[in-house]
Amino acid sequence: MNKLSKLIIAGLMTASSLTMGALSVNAETVLRLDEVAVGELDPAKASDYADSILMFNMYDTLILPKQGGPGHVAHLASSWETDGASYTFTLRDDVKFQSGNAFTAEDVVFSFERTKALGAGLSYLFGDIESVVAIDANTVKFTLARAYAPFVASLVRLPILDKKLVMANLGDGEGEMKDWGQAFLSGNSAGTGAYSVVSHNPQEETVMAKSSSYFAAMNAAAPDTVRLRYGLEAATVRTLIAQGQHDISSQWLPPEVMKALVNDGAQLFKEAGTGAFYFKMNTTKAPLDDVNCRLALANAFDYETAVKMIAVTDDVAQGSAATGAIPVGMFGANPASNTSSQNMEAAKQYLADCKYDAAEMDIEISWIAEVPLEERFALLMQSNFTQLGIASHIKKLPWALFAEQVSKAENTPHISQLFVNAVTGDPDTLLYGMYHSSVPGTWQSPEHLNDAEVDKWLEAGRAGTNDAEREAAYSALNKRLLAIAPTIYGFDRQSVFVASSRVSAPALTDPSKAFGLDGMGFSFRLMEMSE
Amino acid sequence: MPTSFIILFKRLFTSFIVLIGVSMLIFTIARIIPGDPARIALGPNATLEAVANLRANLHLDESIIVQYGYFIWNLLHGDLGISLYTNRPVLLDIGQFLPATLELVFVAGFIMVAIGLPLGAIAARYRGKFIDHVIRILSLLGVSAPSFVWAVILMLMFAFYLPIFPIAGRITDSYTIQAVTGFLLLDTLIAGEYRAFGDAFWHLILPAFALALSGIGQAARLTRANMIETYDKPYIEMAQSYGFSEKRIASKFAFKPSLIPSMTIIGLDFAAMLGNAFLVEAVFAWPGLSRYGVAVILRKDLNAIVGTVLVISATFLIVNIIVDLLIAFINPRIRFSTRRS
Repeated sequence: MNKLSKLIIAGLMTASSLTMGALSVNAETVLRLDEVAVGELDPAKASDYADSILMFNMYDTLILPKQGGPGHVAHLASSWETDGASYTFTLRDDVKFQSGNAFTAEDVVFSFERTKALGAGLSYLFGDIESVVAIDANTVKFTLARAYAPFVASLVRLPILDKKLVMANLGDGEGEMKDWGQAFLSGNSAGTGAYSVVSHNPQEETVMAKSSSYFAAMNAAAPDTVRLRYGLEAATVRTLIAQGQHDISSQWLPPEVMKALVNDGAQLFKEAGTGAFYFKMNTTKAPLDDVNCRLALANAFDYETAVKMIAVTDDVAQGSAATGAIPVGMFGANPASNTSSQNMEAAKQYLADCKYDAAEMDIEISWIAEVPLEERFALLMQSNFTQLGIASHIKKLPWALFAEQVSKAENTPHISQLFVNAVTGDPDTLLYGMYHSSVPGTWQSPEHLNDAEVDKWLEAGRAGTNDAEREAAYSALNKRLLAIAPTIYGFDRQSVFVASSRVSAPALTDPSKAFGLDGMGFSFRLMEMSE
Repeated sequence: MPTSFIILFKRLFTSFIVLIGVSMLIFTIARIIPGDPARIALGPNATLEAVANLRANLHLDESIIVQYGYFIWNLLHGDLGISLYTNRPVLLDIGQFLPATLELVFVAGFIMVAIGLPLGAIAARYRGKFIDHVIRILSLLGVSAPSFVWAVILMLMFAFYLPIFPIAGRITDSYTIQAVTGFLLLDTLIAGEYRAFGDAFWHLILPAFALALSGIGQAARLTRANMIETYDKPYIEMAQSYGFSEKRIASKFAFKPSLIPSMTIIGLDFAAMLGNAFLVEAVFAWPGLSRYGVAVILRKDLNAIVGTVLVISATFLIVNIIVDLLIAFINPRIRFSTRRS
């Protein structure tokens, strides 16, 4: 390197240090993480992962999932009681919203009514609630139209809003409630949460600040400021983390990039037990309308290779071997040791029993264009099916087109690949939408299954009055789903995130502190920054 | 009437017609893309009733002509509708994201002109010499690799291995600048935050270079070819025989005429950068309109698609008008032919 080059580089480095000097001036701890755009601030519209992270940090719910195991604990509520048809919650009287307004039963009623009125996000979870009434300032009663065991679990998706603040900020719209505060809540927070929104650019980032008067437990070293960035490219995240300018990646980082960062000293965070990756077979379309054909494909699939394909390191993968339709950890799941495996002999036998001729089959395997990983699984399936003598072709479908096609059975591909999560952590929210015959064709149900026994067990799971009854119902359901194979149960999903060494998140590293609900591990109040 | 006004008037009129055509075209195309915008906006789990209500609110059940009528009516009232992607008025989104892209494209355009044209002139002046070969190879490299490849290479070289430049964003997080124009270089100066100005400028260098490199190569190659052609003209020989210095011949007699075709291509390059900016914006996490445009297309956000395309088209047309005026200013033959017609 000659003298001039050295001078130029020295000059650039000096300029760089001058312009970046501002970074070190601020002593507050800042947590920087990223997710797929766009982050939805309005909690009634929250459905994606980024939305959930925002919701769980800016708002609270009456109950929370119990850490490290099944069940729920009181949160904004201090206790609750039920007679099966109604649930009465006694509320805490020491909670204030970020605005300073006191939290009351009226806020719960308002939050429920707003969620129902907007009909967006996960509002469908509350379809069976007949009424919500404020008995007094600290008591609220939910009356259900029929017995619905997953009701308590669904409350983790009913964030409580500050009614007074929202009503004071209604935007343009028709009727008394105008826009229900949608314009206001798309840029502001109105909850009791541990964090409040400082700024929100839906394409760039949401900046949140720690509340000084949060009512529940908060780690003393929880980040003062959180910057949730949206839509960062893998190469950008790789460079940012390596340079110490980013703390936690999204789960969508390619495994190779995760591995490279781990080799550089980064740690891995994990969240598991709420969903799975499924290869859904259209049970109405020949030859997959024959159960033997479906069983042939299910037995021919190479489960072991599928899990290797999502390995991040030798010890950690973005999923674990499936044991059936229900992920390990949920009601009805098979033991973790009962993993599915490829069985070509059985596959050949089932194929021989199938009423269709294998030589004439041409299976359409689709993959979602926005999820490149699915193309690899499509190729794996194609290779596995070729071993059986079954021809197949691979079709790339953008999500929007896929969602439209699956509404009709005749337009649905033979095989569709999907990640599906239990949005409340309860198996009902994972399975009912996928398999009950009353549910119209949606992205969750490309199987278009119509099986009376499956319907019976799904309804029994909803009606169960105690854990034992529900366990029995879902166990029977799991058995039936394995027997009729509407789906190839690929693997139980585990979300993996790369994190810098300056952040610690027990809910994402210690199974005894895990919440069993997607996104809740990112409760920033429970994290700890080391500087 | 001065010639430039005639040219301006003609271009404005044709631009208006083009914009109407673009609005009709994109309005139709956006509705042909597969997928129900209401379903995409409300999420896969929204109730059928909620989806039906949103479709009704967006007039999606009406004929496309009626929908276009609503769009034009709202447009005349300064309303481009609400974005289903960001849940904010499209105008607000465009107002926030457009300056970021324009700032990036302006700086990239400046770099393209400031480096590309002199490189081309030097290569032509020293035709066949070592420096000419070096410039030609570099130009070819610039043209042959797309912007996003340059973006990743530059990031690896100058942000990862040699951490000189910032990796992402428009400004360091610790600066809070009041948005006046949306152009951070201007807003920091307006606020008197000179350190922040330096920081914002520092953030611009890598993405702007990544975006400009292809244009630099093209401008250099074009200028070189045009100047070499001009050097073969008789009036250059005459100037040489009159004893004018080589420097004066190059700058006065060879460079200026060769600028005319280069200007046209540079104008088109500038417009192309608005589109190419998407990948550069994605790599450098630049919150610009190109990235927003791709995001809204993927989510079939009808209002935002039409709004974004219209704004990019209008910017493209404005740049071309400016280029036409500059060419008319440089080339007297265009001025005279316009006056005669």
